[in-house]
Amino acid sequence: MDKAALLLSLVLAQTPQADLRCVATGEDFVYDCSIMLMRGGRPLEGADVTVGADMPSMPMAHSVRPAKAIPGTKPGEYRARLDLEMLGEWAIKLRLDGPVRDLLVLHYEFDSKGAKPSMGGQKMEHKKH
Amino acid sequence: MDDYALGVLTNIGLFSFIALSAYLLLIAGEMSFGQQAFFGVGAYAGGILTALYGWPLPLAALAAMALGALAQFLVALPTLRLRGLYFAMATLAAAEMARILFELLHWRRSIDGELAGPDGTQGFRGIRWIFEHGIEPLHYLGIVGVLLALVLGLFVFVERSKLGATLRGIGQDPELAASVGIDVQRVKLGLAAAAGALAALGGVLYAHHNTYIEPRNFDIMLGVHSLAYALIGGLGTAFGPLLGVLLDIGVLESTRVFHGYRMIVFGGLVAVLLVFRPRGLLDERMVLWIRQRFS
Repeated sequence: MDKAALLLSLVLAQTPQADLRCVATGEDFVYDCSIMLMRGGRPLEGADVTVGADMPSMPMAHSVRPAKAIPGTKPGEYRARLDLEMLGEWAIKLRLDGPVRDLLVLHYEFDSKGAKPSMGGQKMEHKKH
Repeated sequence: MDDYALGVLTNIGLFSFIALSAYLLLIAGEMSFGQQAFFGVGAYAGGILTALYGWPLPLAALAAMALGALAQFLVALPTLRLRGLYFAMATLAAAEMARILFELLHWRRSIDGELAGPDGTQGFRGIRWIFEHGIEPLHYLGIVGVLLALVLGLFVFVERSKLGATLRGIGQDPELAASVGIDVQRVKLGLAAAAGALAALGGVLYAHHNTYIEPRNFDIMLGVHSLAYALIGGLGTAFGPLLGVLLDIGVLESTRVFHGYRMIVFGGLVAVLLVFRPRGLLDERMVLWIRQRFS
């Protein structure tokens, strides 16, 4: 392992990483989401996760009420229902408490079926685990 | 207090800084659609200093405020020669230029083996100072509240001083103010610098509250809202913009039943309000009435 990779692994040991999968429920703008949290390459369990969402162009006003996520069936998995106001790009905010305190922001494009990563820094949260 | 209430109250505090910066220019008769640019300057500068260079947040906030003041001073030098609609358009153009500059800003440094810092349209992640220093959301709300109280206290002090009367005089009739020996241009330049510093302070606090910023956060929507707060709340006192923010966030939060249409409902309410109260709820007449009643 070269020095850069070693340093990177040390960082990954401290900084949580997240992946999000959302499926439309059939009700307008309501999605069931599964969040995978990793830390240092391992599932992050026991975290207290709150999921919120902002529209990037009006981050403090056009937001949805945050929802508590519940642990899923797989290690590091958490599940939450997101009730958005409209289709389009949303900045999903994952507030973590418990074994680690952090705030992760993920950008997703929501359509009538589900969500897929959009621009706005997906590099970091989605390509390192 | 739950996370949701803390988040809403913190947002009210953060919006108040940019609302007060717009108000500062409004009382001197200038309508700026560009305060979001200086909010962004503060957010980026503060984030860079804490996340990339390890500065403590208070010091980074002071530096960001100085940069915000300088930025708005430099923008004001040419634009304050314009009046009314032309000044408003020039500030909007300057703000859009700033947003595009944020999109072009790539200031990446290796921090503990990982590249961090502004990455153009990809945004700027990892502004984690408050998490690294164990500051809880309630504590952060307290910091925002204390800073806002200090700023409001300063506004009240200035508005009751000769300078406050001078500013309102310039706002009502700049030619008359100049005829009695007031250097209108110099006062307005100083005011612009103060407004830039205030917006930048809000930006620093916003960036550290959110941990992530991107150029789109600082587009025209934020500028329109910052003006709307002052115009809704009223131009008679510095508490007007604060009332505007409270009403804005309060109405937006209480109209969630309208889902995506609530912005339309909100816009309609603002339009109706401004027809009947063009200088806002707490306009000069209302403030005078309150003072007479309670003094």
